[in-house]
Amino acid sequence: MAGQDIQRREILRVLGVAAVAAHFPGFVRWAYAAEHPSAEPAPVRPAAYTPQFFASQEYAVIEQLAQLIIPSDETPGAREAGAAEFVDFMVAHDEEQQQAMRTGLAWFKAHVERAFGQPFLALTESRQESLLEPLAYRAKYREGEEVGREFFRRIRELTVMGFYSSKIGYQELDNPALRYYAESPACPHTNDPAHRHLPAAKW
Amino acid sequence: MNAVPTKTYDVVVIGTGAGGGMAIKTLCEAGLKVCALNAGRRLDPSKDFRHHRMPWDMKFRGFGDPAKRAESYGFMDNEWVEGVWEHEIPFTTAPGTQWMWPRCFAVGGKTNFWGRSSARFGDIDFRAATLTGAGIDWPLEYREIAPYYSRVERMIGVASTVQNRPSNPDGEYLPPFNFRCLDHILQQGAQKVGVPYLPDRIAQLTRNHEGSPACHFCGACTTGCDTGSFFSTPWRFLPRAEATNNLELRTDALAKNILVDKNGAASGVAYIDRKTGQEVEVRARAVVVAASCLESARIMLNSKSPRWPDGIANSSGQLGRNLCDHLYGESANGHLPQLLGQPSFPDNVGDNQPAWLPRWQNLNNPHEEKFVGGYSVYPGGGCTEYPWYAVQTEGFGSAYKREVKRRYPSPVSFTIQAPSLPSPTNYLDLDPKVTDRYGMPVARLHFKWDDNVLQMWEHSKQIIAEVIRAAGGVYESSASQPNMPGWSLHETGTCRMGNDPKHFVTNRYGQTHDVANLYVCDASVFPSPTDKTTTISIMAFTLRTCEHMLENFRNGVHRRV
Repeated sequence: MAGQDIQRREILRVLGVAAVAAHFPGFVRWAYAAEHPSAEPAPVRPAAYTPQFFASQEYAVIEQLAQLIIPSDETPGAREAGAAEFVDFMVAHDEEQQQAMRTGLAWFKAHVERAFGQPFLALTESRQESLLEPLAYRAKYREGEEVGREFFRRIRELTVMGFYSSKIGYQELDNPALRYYAESPACPHTNDPAHRHLPAAKW
Repeated sequence: MNAVPTKTYDVVVIGTGAGGGMAIKTLCEAGLKVCALNAGRRLDPSKDFRHHRMPWDMKFRGFGDPAKRAESYGFMDNEWVEGVWEHEIPFTTAPGTQWMWPRCFAVGGKTNFWGRSSARFGDIDFRAATLTGAGIDWPLEYREIAPYYSRVERMIGVASTVQNRPSNPDGEYLPPFNFRCLDHILQQGAQKVGVPYLPDRIAQLTRNHEGSPACHFCGACTTGCDTGSFFSTPWRFLPRAEATNNLELRTDALAKNILVDKNGAASGVAYIDRKTGQEVEVRARAVVVAASCLESARIMLNSKSPRWPDGIANSSGQLGRNLCDHLYGESANGHLPQLLGQPSFPDNVGDNQPAWLPRWQNLNNPHEEKFVGGYSVYPGGGCTEYPWYAVQTEGFGSAYKREVKRRYPSPVSFTIQAPSLPSPTNYLDLDPKVTDRYGMPVARLHFKWDDNVLQMWEHSKQIIAEVIRAAGGVYESSASQPNMPGWSLHETGTCRMGNDPKHFVTNRYGQTHDVANLYVCDASVFPSPTDKTTTISIMAFTLRTCEHMLENFRNGVHRRV
């Protein structure tokens, strides 16, 4: 804009590079997802994420659940975003969640064995999905599975939080937040205030 | 042993927020020697304002440490401003009262993070009791305060348009924020229902102004601004006061009580130095209390002396009484199918508040509705930092992921801002049993929403759902209850102004009736909250109060040091 002086352009430039990432040691994919220019030397990353709350067998189940909730398809999913690391990290810091997760995991393990006589990770993906559907969709809810629904609700909520707050999640939505704009962004559809004739939806 | 004061100031000011900051600047620029007390520390924008960090740069991704969730004040008290909101000084609530009290004790107070909506009050507010028979009139008319609003608008920069609304006097504005797609769509719906949908009045710079750069529209205003592009006292007022060399700002100075001489006049302030735990006294010829509505009343109630056994300047018994608040709550939410699957758009640029629905009720006739007075509504929505609707969206898998993306530009949500009426049962007193860690009695809140404001809440749910539907949108739900009292940060009334010393704490200038050299410069002097936010009015009234005080210094009512 005319009248926007050098001082302001300089401020915008500085702001653009000022946000220095604080990498939290221990995360693998999460830290990767956060990678951007930093003045500090990159921390040494362990080869694999060490769960803080879940036992390694349990964590493998959490990873698969997160991946089923937000799969890698045309775009990266929970795996690339390290969403399971976030789930584990938040539960490790939340006593209220821990009890529910213990109860929920025990229910889920028994439920899977009852249904298929095999552990969850040994099942095909379509069988895994068939187990989640009655926990995820109101229309498919079943009597007596309240504990399972609550478990899935918690895992799904943390997965969604972890995914959409990651850099990959921002890219997924083309999230425009926390950027810098020279002008107050304005609706581009000046001849269509009711927005009834927009170009075809992209998704 | 108290530290012996070594110096007397012309004025000591308690607080550095909207009222305190304006008082400090005005008095220092007039040549008075001012000591300002601030209960917390100075913020360092480079350390304390982390708002240009992305969520993945934060330990808990901006959701906050779950272990601290119970004590969090909600959306503003987050990881980006960790350690800035006050958690050390407790307060209590009477049985049946719920109250949320987010206090920012850092220098600049809540102006560091405020919502920036800046509409003028008008005669419809000042004469509300005459018009409706409810509440109480203010002791002045709009034409008296209008020039002060103009001066404040020129100082701070307010973006808006001239709107000619009967409930909202127009002011002097910078160019408005542009409307987003969702604003145009909702405006069409509002027009069909007969509800105004207009640019808000925002103290946020759309042009470079008075040495401050224009906004860069990053949208993270409620976590502080690191360019000073919306108004806050640390960016805009305090540097000017400090440049006069007339200001001494003491931080971590928690005001305890106002000191009085043998005649009961104010002679200074006793405060706790929070770094040493020591009590310190500072002497002055006049005292400005600007610690925010509740904290100011607490300090004054705690200022007991033989002359003022019930608290300083409380011969009316009204100190701490007449507490009012803005009811906030989500009147309605839904989504706009027109925007489903459209490319993302930076909707969150003004922290999501470029527009408002200014009061439209009871304008032609004060008794059109089941309630008296009126409320306003703020719309929000579109592409936000985090897709909050994603958790409500059912399912999992690729279909779910696609649905979250499809819905990203489409959600809308409306928040009501409705004033409660003064009531004898809504007030603050000192808890007789509980003290804070410095031995000072804590504030005890007594508060319930009145029927009138709850009628507004019900009314808004119905009419905003109509607005969404008339815009071609899908109405989804309304909050089952309004937010907890205190949430708005717009409390008023504890030192209300009026002409009769028997019924009012302060006079029409915000000077206490009982103590001529004690002035109150915050929303506690407002007899009612109106449907507008309080900050710009705090500044306009403070400017007027300070000029009255300066006049009193000139004509000998107060003597300079």
